[in-house]
Amino acid sequence: MEAYRQEIIVGSVIVYMAFCVLTGLWAMRRTHNTSDFFIAGRSLGPIVVALALFSSTLSGFGFVGGPGLVYSVGVTSFWMVVISSTGYAVGFFMVAKRIRMIAELRDCISLPDVVAARYGSQSVSFLIAITIVLGVMGYLATQILAMAVVMQAILTGTETFAEVGLVTCVVISSAVLIFYCVTGGMIASVYTDVVQGSIMIIAGALILFTAISVFDGGMQEASSIILADDAETIMPYGAMGIMASLGWFFVFGLGLAGQPHIITKMMMNKNMSDNRTIFPMSLFGYAMAALLWISIGIIMRAAVIDGAVGPLSLPDDAASTFLTIFANPLLAGVVFAGLFAAIMSTSDAFLSIGTAAIIHDIPRAIGGRSVQNELFWARIVTVLLAIVAASFALYSHFRDETLVAILGAFGWGTFAASIFPVVAVGLNWKGATVPGAITAIVAALLINFFTQLGGYTLPYGISGPLVAFASSMVLFIGVSMLTKPLKLASDIEQMMDI
Amino acid sequence: MRSKLIYIIFVVSLFMVGILVAISLAEPVTNASGVPHPEFSGMQVGGDGLARFEQIGNLGFAFQCLLLIQIVLLSLLGISERYRSREILIYMGGTVVLTLFIAWQMYSSHLQYLETGNTDYFLGFPIATAWAVYGTWLGAIPLVVLYSVGFHKYIYTPEDEQQFKKLLIAKADKTELANH
Repeated sequence: MEAYRQEIIVGSVIVYMAFCVLTGLWAMRRTHNTSDFFIAGRSLGPIVVALALFSSTLSGFGFVGGPGLVYSVGVTSFWMVVISSTGYAVGFFMVAKRIRMIAELRDCISLPDVVAARYGSQSVSFLIAITIVLGVMGYLATQILAMAVVMQAILTGTETFAEVGLVTCVVISSAVLIFYCVTGGMIASVYTDVVQGSIMIIAGALILFTAISVFDGGMQEASSIILADDAETIMPYGAMGIMASLGWFFVFGLGLAGQPHIITKMMMNKNMSDNRTIFPMSLFGYAMAALLWISIGIIMRAAVIDGAVGPLSLPDDAASTFLTIFANPLLAGVVFAGLFAAIMSTSDAFLSIGTAAIIHDIPRAIGGRSVQNELFWARIVTVLLAIVAASFALYSHFRDETLVAILGAFGWGTFAASIFPVVAVGLNWKGATVPGAITAIVAALLINFFTQLGGYTLPYGISGPLVAFASSMVLFIGVSMLTKPLKLASDIEQMMDI
Repeated sequence: MRSKLIYIIFVVSLFMVGILVAISLAEPVTNASGVPHPEFSGMQVGGDGLARFEQIGNLGFAFQCLLLIQIVLLSLLGISERYRSREILIYMGGTVVLTLFIAWQMYSSHLQYLETGNTDYFLGFPIATAWAVYGTWLGAIPLVVLYSVGFHKYIYTPEDEQQFKKLLIAKADKTELANH
């Protein structure tokens, strides 16, 4: 079986991509209008929503960047993962019920729609739409590039495709993504998420068992190797220290409830009561998939320090090197399919919300109404958005590699700081005002842009997104308290009392 | 407490920003956010842990505590005001105590290691890290339980469902009227 390792991996990925194409065709017959295209007609059962929620949360970063980060900085990176339980808790308590109610009450198909209904303001809706477009561009470019890089790494390991170029890989992977998103919209997206999420859960569990068997003493032996080399790396705050860790705790914990690609899925369940099971199921799925993130990183760092494995050229090689050396070919095939699944599940979510922002939200905010033949134009824009993101990814890869990385990092933090106060707090507090919302969003965007693109570093590992998020919370509540709220629409006011 | 909740959240947010400002103004330490590993490129190390904690350790821990309190406060904000009973407030208070206890165990175990150089292990990690990894996860369990088990009592009751249905009926009536 070892002799056919690359073929098994390639085969697994091809099977998975074929499944995505077939799902797109199946979903196309069920997509009749923009409500179906963007929020699956609010008709989904709890298992589908739960798997879609967590698989959208965990992108390719969880399979490549995450283990690489653990390899690089140790336990600091854990804080992005272990806070998921609190993050989901805050998301469900603050957002799940109200966003689902407001979506049905006002026929909302996007997050800016929800914001427009809550605040009675197209300005706030417009700013949220702009935030989404900016964040989506960076995120989508990162995901497309990751998909293509991994595909190239897999294919060049075979004799037949040894010379395949990155551009070809971008075209192939984007084509599959575009196909099932255009044909089946959100219905295709969430049903592929079901399989994607399942693969990610299985991959996470299997990798954990493989990882703990690398050293005779299991994870404890790996930890003690790292401890002997540098204790801080394996201690609670890792190599980057307490404020970097807590910054990620804040931004990834609370910020989960501000991620549009996650909370939009909370509008899609058929029955409100399903939330009581969706929450623990999503959490379980995420926890299982995240085992891979933690275990590979720790084992690889210990293995390199111990001399069992040669030093890595790049931290992001941690996962692929681990799979090559320690995992049997079938497991490697499952994990690589899982990697593509993770990247695609997040990419299709971004493609959907980005398209909605461009074709639905911005026209409504500026012109007061949607475009005609909205479903047709939604499909066109989906293709165009993916092409623009793919082009941007290639341009930055060949000209300036930092661009995509910056915008990718910019994405989560910007969504967290801009959207969390306005949506999560705003849906639960009648005193939230339009000036408060606008101030929070603008401040979040400016601080994030300033610190990320300006390259400013703050002392003790305090990150720009942490400053942006903490500031936007204070500004949102403070400015709202100082300004007079408009009278809420009667149905919105009654909804907020429920 | 119930109707003043947003003010408490605001004050906690202000304190958190204040701590960030204080930390930013503290005397810098070379290895505060890690330095490159002397032998392996791509790896960072933390170096002298005591030196890193000297200036800002307590401030950082205070920030962590405020964040844990804020998480529970925000979760409480997501429960309708009429369901924020004494029972719920006690439950949430208990959750805060639990998460702060876990955070203290993590922080104090870390300090103990820095002073003694010795640590035991639990499920693969040094004790302090085990508190961080398993404890942080488990600290949210009370919130998970409250939401799932208490859903129809505190989150979305049968009365809430009736109320929402009335809103939907009113919406349908309004749409029908507009079409005529």
